[in-house]
Amino acid sequence: MTNPFRHASTFLLAALTTAWIAGAFLALVCAGLVYQRITASSNDPWKSPQLLELKAQLQDAPRDEGIKSRIRDLDLKFRQRYVRRLVMGRSGGWLLLGGSIVFIAALWTVAEARRRPPLPQPDHDAGARALRHAAASRRAVGVTAGALGIGLVAIAFGLHSALDDPALAPMTAAAGVTTAPRAGPPLPPHSEFLANWPRFRGPLGGGAASSGEAPLKWDGKTGTGIVWKAPVPAPGFNSPIVWGERVFISGATAEKREIFCYDAATGQLRWQRAIEKVPGSPAESPPISEETGYAAPTMATDGRHAYAIFAHGDLAAVTFDGDVAWSKHLGVPHNPYGHATSLAIWDGKLLVQLDQGEGRPHNSRLIAIDGGTGRVLWEKPRSMASSWATPIVIETAGSPQIVTLGVPFVIGYALADGRELWRAERLDGEITPSPIFAGGRLLVIHPDNKMMAFKPEGTGDITESPLDWKAEDNIPDITSPVSNGELVFTVTSRGIVTCFDLADGKTLWEKDLQTEAHPSPVIAGNRLYVTCTNGTTIVAAAGREYQELARNELGEKVFASAAIVRGRMYVRGLKNLYCLGPATKPASP
Amino acid sequence: MKRWGGFAFATSGALWLLALLFAFVSPLPAAEQRFPPPEFETGHKLPITTTPGPRALAREFLDAGVLLAALGIATWLVYRRRSRRGLMALSIASVAYFGFYRQGCICAIGAVQNVALGICDPSYAIPLTVLVFFFAPLVFALFAGRVFCAGVCPHGALQDLVLIKPLKVPGWLEHGLGLIPFVFLGAGVAFAATGSAFVICRYDPFVPLFRLTGSVSLLTLGAAFIVTGMFVGRPYCRFLCPYGALLRLGSLVSKWRVRVTPDFCTQCRLCEHSCPYGAMREPVVAAAQPEPPARQRRRLAWLLVALPLLITAGALGGARLAPAAARLHPTVALVEQHLRQQKAPVTHPPMTPEALSLERAANDPDPLIASARKIRERVTLACWLFGGWVGLVIGIKLIALSLRPARTDYEPDRGACVACARCFEYCPNELVRRGIAPAGPLKTAAPELVALVEQRR
Ligand code: SF4
Repeated sequence: MTNPFRHASTFLLAALTTAWIAGAFLALVCAGLVYQRITASSNDPWKSPQLLELKAQLQDAPRDEGIKSRIRDLDLKFRQRYVRRLVMGRSGGWLLLGGSIVFIAALWTVAEARRRPPLPQPDHDAGARALRHAAASRRAVGVTAGALGIGLVAIAFGLHSALDDPALAPMTAAAGVTTAPRAGPPLPPHSEFLANWPRFRGPLGGGAASSGEAPLKWDGKTGTGIVWKAPVPAPGFNSPIVWGERVFISGATAEKREIFCYDAATGQLRWQRAIEKVPGSPAESPPISEETGYAAPTMATDGRHAYAIFAHGDLAAVTFDGDVAWSKHLGVPHNPYGHATSLAIWDGKLLVQLDQGEGRPHNSRLIAIDGGTGRVLWEKPRSMASSWATPIVIETAGSPQIVTLGVPFVIGYALADGRELWRAERLDGEITPSPIFAGGRLLVIHPDNKMMAFKPEGTGDITESPLDWKAEDNIPDITSPVSNGELVFTVTSRGIVTCFDLADGKTLWEKDLQTEAHPSPVIAGNRLYVTCTNGTTIVAAAGREYQELARNELGEKVFASAAIVRGRMYVRGLKNLYCLGPATKPASP
Repeated sequence: MKRWGGFAFATSGALWLLALLFAFVSPLPAAEQRFPPPEFETGHKLPITTTPGPRALAREFLDAGVLLAALGIATWLVYRRRSRRGLMALSIASVAYFGFYRQGCICAIGAVQNVALGICDPSYAIPLTVLVFFFAPLVFALFAGRVFCAGVCPHGALQDLVLIKPLKVPGWLEHGLGLIPFVFLGAGVAFAATGSAFVICRYDPFVPLFRLTGSVSLLTLGAAFIVTGMFVGRPYCRFLCPYGALLRLGSLVSKWRVRVTPDFCTQCRLCEHSCPYGAMREPVVAAAQPEPPARQRRRLAWLLVALPLLITAGALGGARLAPAAARLHPTVALVEQHLRQQKAPVTHPPMTPEALSLERAANDPDPLIASARKIRERVTLACWLFGGWVGLVIGIKLIALSLRPARTDYEPDRGACVACARCFEYCPNELVRRGIAPAGPLKTAAPELVALVEQRR
């Protein structure tokens, strides 16, 4: 049917043309806005790789004004670009609005002009149609209801809530249970902490026993000087820790993770606890090199719980009776050899240094956890890749600080809130020897290269502040140094023992044991204990001259460092745990 | 007609697909670009946050006043002046004021949620203006039908203004899709009452248009509604608007009702296809082969029995939605994220809102998990009720479709009519009233009716 208006009206033609032009204009503006939207996401200041890189650089060099001003410039650029985008978006919006009004008005004019008045035709089918219509409508309602039902069922069954996963959200946090802030059991006095061997290398992490007594002679073959010997049921390179009448070690394979508690007096296995069903823990353990194993980090205790971390990121606290107090998965640490940094602890705060990754990006962090409750107190990202040294806590100017190593920084953090206090760029290589604090100085080791002594003073970047001394002879690559407050002793993994003067770092003597030594040396009173991997322990005088006091054979390979408490020495061999010392029962604390 | 149909189908179809795509690619609401706080000391002092002054309050009262005035004008235009032009002018004014000037907020559609939250959460005080926005259109509907939709609601007015070439939606489809607004109303109330989210506002397709900014997915959705609205009358009002569902119920019992003819229906059928919104109802004529009454009664009886079953089934099924629905609550969402984080950690750049909130959750997860469970309980109850409501709506709708209406005239469906005044000018009597057509005898009507009309005049 021809439309009588179609050719007649130039007005209509004008309206049509206007509609076309407005439509093209709208399409153009839309395309512009869409383009702008797409490019905008790549300029997101939170995600800009350029800005993130600069910020990572700033973390490594917090005082670099150049980086700061580059960050400021880039940030300003982003903001300007953002504001520009907003303005453009707004003007684009107004253009679209204007264009739409013209477009719609023109189309409306065309439609109105073409509208044909109604001309009803006779309708004999109305009654039957109404019936059909009602039936069809009922069916349509049924179909819509069915479609809605299917959609809702899909939603109901398609989405899984982590809240319903008992492994992830334990029912202790059930609805209605008002969880009063859990305090955890009371913390034993600090003196008790110092009297025990609550972490890797003793309470202060320096490898020095608090009491001067320690055994001098023993023999694994004859059993002389061995109070007890107990088999270790699971592999692990971690060292024993001791609190009161309990000795703890952990062991793990790819399948199973366990904590073992021995009676310090008799060596009887008091209990063993498997750590399993930790919320979020991966079903399969990551592959870990055999030299590190799944239980390299030494446990820690604060007298309330014993804490253990395993290579795949499970952290657990068990009571002294062997019940799991809390556990959490910290994410699988991506560490080329496997996570080996031991747990540190001070004043009930458990410290987990989780350095990981190779180069960037990494997810390294230092986490402080309330040992009593398992609550994360604070967590600080660390801009460095994997390391293996264990942090220590030192008391300076009344407030405790945590000293951590990781390439290339030695960093001091406030224990209270994790604030970074200072950092010094001093390290390189694969950081395995842990720092010690002796005579007011921090001793840190750049493996196979140098040992540096400096005071943990100042704030911010203290790289430029002078070292007290540095030594470059026979620097260990794995073991940590030990000091008696006057001298410093080191052992390289090839077995060279060296004595330095703590005051100036001068080498006083050195002794080649001609055998491998992986355990770190320990000191008790005026005796230095150097245990070699083959199980031989050389007891030497901790003096300015080398003097061998005894040479003891355990008859079993040893990789772990010894613990010395109340005159007894606890050594973990590859297969057995030994208690060395006088046969009489030690006095209970 | 064919050309229009093809164009309508192609453009709006493409836009709907795009909107769907964007919704999956960038889940709503898309994060706006944010700026990280400075991470090193600068001399910059952050400005202190200020609270809105009394002027804002005055403006709220102004909004309420404008709303009441507009409702009054709309009623007058529909019932006294019977003026389509007047309503168009009012629509333009409403879109300009409530839409572009007030940016689609405050709006009666969203106010449902404030009221639901206010009833269920005693600590939430509903602002007075919100109450006015919620109740005034409803009260007007009880007297005058959906005059709010006619030209006061900016959403409706905007769609009304863009309607160029209305294509007819088959009646059965209209009834089928007509369920959705009631379901959406139930969902919106359930989410709001549990303090989870204001989903009606969150997924409002027009507010981003009024603000000339928003997430890509919502803007596309808005565009899809507008383009579809050029060919299908008021798609949002008819097939989605939850407040429209309420007004529909209100106007079913309204005191006055919209009538096509100012006088007397002569059954000329000229208005038969005049309503672009599918609201025109024909007089009921007996079919040549009517359905046996016994069958009708049986069907009705079955449906009456099925109603409680539908409600029960709905409630039972609804309860299963709770785990998914609870996730819209920010606390539950955070807990879920925190728990998933334990399973498969994702690293967010430091200091980002995501990283900060996850850190907060990790610091003290137990109370958070406990409160998430509590919220889940509330949501479960809401989901029971929601499911029951859906069952009820379906049942009532089916029952209503099984009742035989009694209509002798062409008249707008009370619930569906948005009082747009379009049909009026199709009525010859209206043309007479306006003085456009001569007041002589009307040829299309039966002589006795003509006599009656003449007599009335
Ligand atoms: S006034 Fe007339 S045209 Fe407008 S919605 Fe109501 S019935 Fe339809």
